[in-house]
Amino acid sequence: MKTDVAVIGTGLSALAAARTIQQSGRQVVLVWPGLSSLYFLFATVDVLGYPTADATEPVADPGGAVARLIAREPTHPYARAGIDAVQASARLMLEWFKEAGLVWEGALNRNFLLPTATGTPKPCCLAPASMTAGDLSRPEPIVFCGFTGYQDFAPELAASNLKRQWSAADVSAVRVTAPGYGPDRLFTSIDLARSFEDASFRDAVAAQLRERLSGDTVRVGVPGVLGLTTPNETFAAFQRAVGRPIFEIPTVPPSVIALRLFDRLRKHLQEAGIEIIWAAPAHAAEVTDGRCRSILLKAAGHELPVEAAAYVVALEDWVDGAFRAGVHTVRDPFFHQAIAWNKVPTDRTAESLFSTQPFEQVGYALTDRLQPADEKGRPLAENVFCAGGAMAGYDPTGTKSRGGMAIATGYRAAREALAA
Amino acid sequence: MITEEFEPMTDTVEEEASVEACTKCTACNTVCPVARSTDIFRGPKALGPDAERFRSPQEAAVTPGLDLCSGCKLCEVTCPSQVSIQEYIRRAQNKGAREKGRSLRDWVLGRTRLLGKLGSMTAPLANFGNSNPLFRVLMERFVGIHRRRPLPKYQWLTFERWFKRHPRPTKSRRKVAYFYGCWVNYNDRRLGERAVAILERNGIEVVVPHQQCCGIPAVVNSNMDLARRYGQQNVRNLTPVAEEMDIVASSTSCGLMLKHDYGHLLDIPGSERLGAKTYDIMEYLWMLHEAGELDTDFQTVPMRLLYHAPCHLKSHGIGYPAMRLLRLIPGVNLEEVDEGCCGISGTFGVKVEKYDLSMKIGSRLFEAVKAAGSDYVLADCETCRMQVEHGAGATSAHPLEILARAYGHG
Ligand SMILES: Cc1cc2nc3c(=O)[nH]c(=O)nc-3n(C[C@H](O)[C@H](O)[C@H](O)COP(=O)(O)OP(=O)(O)OC[C@H]3O[C@@H](n4cnc5c(N)ncnc54)[C@H](O)[C@@H]3O)c2cc1C
Ligand code: SF4
Ligand code: SF4
Ligand code: SF4
Repeated sequence: MKTDVAVIGTGLSALAAARTIQQSGRQVVLVWPGLSSLYFLFATVDVLGYPTADATEPVADPGGAVARLIAREPTHPYARAGIDAVQASARLMLEWFKEAGLVWEGALNRNFLLPTATGTPKPCCLAPASMTAGDLSRPEPIVFCGFTGYQDFAPELAASNLKRQWSAADVSAVRVTAPGYGPDRLFTSIDLARSFEDASFRDAVAAQLRERLSGDTVRVGVPGVLGLTTPNETFAAFQRAVGRPIFEIPTVPPSVIALRLFDRLRKHLQEAGIEIIWAAPAHAAEVTDGRCRSILLKAAGHELPVEAAAYVVALEDWVDGAFRAGVHTVRDPFFHQAIAWNKVPTDRTAESLFSTQPFEQVGYALTDRLQPADEKGRPLAENVFCAGGAMAGYDPTGTKSRGGMAIATGYRAAREALAA
Repeated sequence: MITEEFEPMTDTVEEEASVEACTKCTACNTVCPVARSTDIFRGPKALGPDAERFRSPQEAAVTPGLDLCSGCKLCEVTCPSQVSIQEYIRRAQNKGAREKGRSLRDWVLGRTRLLGKLGSMTAPLANFGNSNPLFRVLMERFVGIHRRRPLPKYQWLTFERWFKRHPRPTKSRRKVAYFYGCWVNYNDRRLGERAVAILERNGIEVVVPHQQCCGIPAVVNSNMDLARRYGQQNVRNLTPVAEEMDIVASSTSCGLMLKHDYGHLLDIPGSERLGAKTYDIMEYLWMLHEAGELDTDFQTVPMRLLYHAPCHLKSHGIGYPAMRLLRLIPGVNLEEVDEGCCGISGTFGVKVEKYDLSMKIGSRLFEAVKAAGSDYVLADCETCRMQVEHGAGATSAHPLEILARAYGHG
């Protein structure tokens, strides 16, 4: 099938790229082999949380800090994307969220500091409005509320951890029961999110909570389960019923907050007539004379060639299994190149689970125009541009910068693809 | 960069995804239409890759709730690790049915060709019975077919017999073989006639090779042995044809059987060659268009149309060619209703114990269809069409019908 630009992937970078191309009026097709890591994510866009992977003081002004990072490290993916793309992509996404009916807040000159489900303060730049009342730069006391029998959020754990890490330290925990969820029922965030759309369920939870709260200034942190398809209405109604500021906290997968984001943006693109090809992983690129002529999708029964003038390859590296690691090499799914990382196995992982992992740095080497490059720095194909997690040589986890990186490179790769 | 290789690297996607590939991300559970609609279903992750670790050929298949999986395959479409979730469930369902024995109903529902032969031979009588309330009560009581589920009408003249009398075009650019499936043969000959007319209009001679039921009704009624027998007959009859020409199917699930499930689910040797030459008819027509060979001299069709993408079409991995094609027609106002599974899943929603669940699954789609209003709701899959008609009171059609209209047929 033919199109102007083919975007491979459905993560944040792929979505940002698709939106950029859509706005230019050119035709774009998204190739989707399964849900992306967007689905697991904390559900905020982190532009830069820490200046370096081992820094302990969070960044206050992510826009400014990225500009300094670009000056310091000219080969960093942020530098390749450019500060203009960082700014343009943040604007692009905020405008898009609004148009798609998602209520988000944030700006490049400040970070929120939001508690995670384990009570760790986490810097993030753009966030759903349903989360921002949790900002730890505000002094109001916090009550974490969990549900009896619900395993994906332990309010006591969140409270005890946050107490140690937050100067205001006024934190406590309560548990309420979720009507209809008895001890013999195994349930997930998705089930709760659907129940919260029901007014009687919501009111029953709110009534219990009201009884347990004391103090007028207190705000309440609940797991991110306040509605799945009608989150804006569900959140507003619940907050009204409780009578205190509420904030949602993203849970472990399935993260309802992330799912809402993904579902809404996907549908919004489809409503605009953009086609998504489901269930077809791309597995080879046909390159002749330095240009990619088609990307072959593994459709049922046969290969489906997608012929485009340009391609945006927006893969994650490990989470979605795009790259395959052997004992001595790592290969990419398109060019079937042994890419950048080739240390012996023991060096690929750090011993501690929570320290930064060397394998995170594996990915495509890039040209200045975000083209995947060979060892001499020449593009593997002139009209292929890379965005998001599949770039070599940076550590998104320690610096809390994946989301910002994903949208900035997605935007920039799309601009390059449009020019190619 | 070290280019030297110390081990053979297997191709990324060529490898069969196994239970080991499951990262327990639960993405599959969030999209499962059955899990969304009932809390007694434990979802694809638990019943697929999780339970699979504990299944052994020597032991009985005992995973509770297994038969509630409708087989829509949305879980597989969503899985980031390409785990064959539904195949695990299917095999376990099949094993369970073999151990427990199949009901008469499931035995019959797996044999659409037999049903079709009987139905079309006795068409007026069968249609009368199928719409007679008293008969339906008895059918529910003794056979287990829900009384409110409308059953397809049978036609006396089958597609096969119609085609035998159909005059061949005098000249053609190429040939294509048509896999019409039981639906077109026994219930909707008109759709087959449309397919033939559209292909011939584009200078393509249609060949109708000898064929058997694709086997999907047998698969979904947990009779994989029967499905395999049908599949083997089709592979035997159609592979020589496929050496000479492409094969097109107008039914989404038939096409998916030929393309994918013969090889993957039913392990029929040699079926890959047939699968590689099989196309969904809309996919095929779109390829013609991209090659500049589709006659786009369309009449205006001033209609408001809604498109429901069948779950199994998503599994084809070809996008939505029907939407692309119909947007070429002047006057067409086409929108997608993106509300997921319709709930019927072939014969699933026909059964007395699953009817309510099937209607609940489809309720979101029905509401959206009612709210949007349209001349037709289009779907490539025949059971989707039955379900939206029943659930939303809408008129439905295969996208081919609109294309035929644009070419001036009816
Ligand atoms: C548990 C977890 C929590 C996170 N929390 C946060 C957070 O709070 N804030 C934040 O900003 N970021 C967070 N992240 C990171 C977040 O996932 C990234 O910011 C972002 O999703 C990366 O986008 P991407 O487009 O680069 O990759 P992805 O979202 O992973 O998208 C990659 C795409 O490529 C596709 N693909 C793979 N192989 C192929 C193939 N062969 N053919 C075709 N397509 C293919 C995949 O299906 C997928 O659609 C988190 C990540 C995880 C795992
Ligand atoms: S095939 Fe459909 S019904 Fe069955 S488990 Fe998967 S998503 Fe659920
Ligand atoms: S989506 Fe795939 S990887 Fe995730 S839990 Fe389901 S089967 Fe496992
Ligand atoms: S009948 Fe249609 S929508 Fe429903 S399960 Fe089959 S393909 Fe899915």
